Amino acid sequence: VKVDDAALACCAVEHAAAVAVFGDEAARDGIALGVERPEDANVLVVSGTVTDKLAPDVRALWERIAHPRWVVSFGACANSGGPYWDSYAVTKGVERIIPVDVYVPGCPPRPEALVDAVRGLIGRSRA
Amino acid sequence: MTAVAASEVLGSRVAGLFVREEAIVVPRAAWVAAAVAARELLAARCFDFLTAVDAAAEGFLVVTGLVAPGGPRLLLETAVPVDDAWVDTLTGVFRGAAWHERETAEMFGIDFRGHPDPRPLLLSDDGARAHPLRKDVALAERVETVWPGSVEPTGAATRRPQVPYGVPPSP
Repeated sequence: VKVDDAALACCAVEHAAAVAVFGDEAARDGIALGVERPEDANVLVVSGTVTDKLAPDVRALWERIAHPRWVVSFGACANSGGPYWDSYAVTKGVERIIPVDVYVPGCPPRPEALVDAVRGLIGRSRA
Repeated sequence: MTAVAASEVLGSRVAGLFVREEAIVVPRAAWVAAAVAARELLAARCFDFLTAVDAAAEGFLVVTGLVAPGGPRLLLETAVPVDDAWVDTLTGVFRGAAWHERETAEMFGIDFRGHPDPRPLLLSDDGARAHPLRKDVALAERVETVWPGSVEPTGAATRRPQVPYGVPPSP
């Protein structure tokens, strides 16, 4: 399982922490928490606030992820808009533009939650 | 230097300006001339910001902050009618005004005439068409959401019926 991070806002710091602290441990189990190119990944983690302006780019990034592919929505903003639920500029959850497999709640979630979410994908099938 | 003193200096070149609180209010036709005069007569070489205020009955107030390094800070303001919302661009005087004018244009629906690149800056195309900082524009999510708890009684003359933030009270 290889992960690419759509690092849109502060939740991306938690992703970075997960890579720094749990990256080696995850690698022993065949999980790469960060890759260079989206074509090398099959999990897209959306961490942060998706704005309407940026939504087409997030979708374009998802289209470059290798099959079979999964999407992890990481944190309140990616899940629902979070504290920006009523904003004129924020997409109310990344599920409005791409299909989501796992939602991780929290504002922000802990780094361990990211690792758990990605581990939970192992064994799940998807085209 | 006070706003009054600054307005007297600018008044030697620009007619029809007056001071309101800290701001020097300029006729719309003299908007660019006032910025040029501020730079040349008061050494206000530094463009700080440009934005607008929805002042309801007064229309929109376009405001810009200019700074003379080591000297006065100036607030220039001009009134723009809502149904005729335009003002000349300041980009010919301060290039840095370009992004501020693009943001103000999309947020308020004010046309900055002569702007070299009037595309929306921060909002999506749909968002930019909505002009979300106009006070009569409601936040759709606020209107649609059912709010928990009781609504304030509407009979009392001194209290407005409670509406969510971002939703104009019904007339």
